[in-house]
Amino acid sequence: MASLGDMLFLIITFAILMVLVGKFAFKPVTKMMTDRQDKITNDLDYADNAKKQAADLAAQRQAELQNSQAEAVQIVNTAKANGDKQRQALLDQAQQEVATLKQNAQTDIEQSKQDALNAAKNDVADLSVAIATKIIGKELNASDQQQLIDDYIKGLGDTNGAH
Amino acid sequence: MNESYPYLVLFGLRFNLANCIAILVSAILIFALVFWLSRKPAIRPGKKQNVLEYMIDFTNGIVKGAMPGPEGNRFGLLAFVLFLFVFVNNQIGLFLQIDAGGKTWFRSPTADPIITMTLAMTVLLLSHYFAVVFTGFKGYMKGFVSPLAFLAPINILEEFTNFVTLAMRLYGNIFAGEVLLLLIRSLAFSGGSMGWLSFIAGFLMEMVWQGFSVFIGSIQAYVFVTLGMVYISHKVVPE
Repeated sequence: MASLGDMLFLIITFAILMVLVGKFAFKPVTKMMTDRQDKITNDLDYADNAKKQAADLAAQRQAELQNSQAEAVQIVNTAKANGDKQRQALLDQAQQEVATLKQNAQTDIEQSKQDALNAAKNDVADLSVAIATKIIGKELNASDQQQLIDDYIKGLGDTNGAH
Repeated sequence: MNESYPYLVLFGLRFNLANCIAILVSAILIFALVFWLSRKPAIRPGKKQNVLEYMIDFTNGIVKGAMPGPEGNRFGLLAFVLFLFVFVNNQIGLFLQIDAGGKTWFRSPTADPIITMTLAMTVLLLSHYFAVVFTGFKGYMKGFVSPLAFLAPINILEEFTNFVTLAMRLYGNIFAGEVLLLLIRSLAFSGGSMGWLSFIAGFLMEMVWQGFSVFIGSIQAYVFVTLGMVYISHKVVPE
């Protein structure tokens, strides 16, 4: 065992060196390397997710944009249709009103004509009575009529000669 | 590097001071380096932290290459420290070799077979230990008779060949490199009437060989850790 001392010295030195290097250099640095690897992995995952989200959002925006375009066209169309309908309705209403008015006017005119005729008839009657009165000279009323009749009868008796 | 070392005998154990000093110095260098690099770790790394993380990623890559499953998580620290340790021990003798009083006081510890054998033994013992931890004692024993029972002698033999090849490959490469460094150095200082020429030639060759040895030392550290992890994975990962 001539060189046992060297062997022991080498092994012990190597073991101590290994412990010290592991404690002071290897472990902290490999831990940092692992941390960095984790961080890079996480960052890459995060970036992938963010990219995916951005793509989703962009697609959503695009879809929304197309939807809103379609919606706008629809709104305009609806508005146009509504306008047309309303215009038609107004037109119809106006026409109907005009027709009603016309009808009413016609009725009124008819009524007035009738009234006027009736009034004229009455007037004619009154007038004839008035003319007759004028002609007769006296207004006839019931008692006068009675007297007239009586006078007339008396006259008849007189002409027959008793007096 | 003249194969004559200062020895210290303590408690009946003999210490080769050249090895012990160099191991201690490289351990301190490694700890100082990683300690300095690992100050204030943050999610957003600074320059120093990036360097350290690069090294950790490198050794973790070695571990994951051998053990892709969750078993590999346990061996990151071992691979990291083992790689740095073998690497620094391979290189340290290239820059500094001290011979004093006819004895070598400082050179690469991995140029000594005892050191590489100890490292290889540590790794292989850990592989056996973790085989029991991960697969249970039954699974560990079953590993010796798989895939077929009659292969058991070969499996057992393999343990020894693994150990010897792992240790000797590292030792051979580093030792040869340091011997050649020494030879080139003695060429440079050979003196004589043409001493200046051999000095210049030796100087250039030494530089080239040092550069190449840095390369070899790095490769050998990588190979050592890779094979160590492969041996551990053979034991630990259920097949």
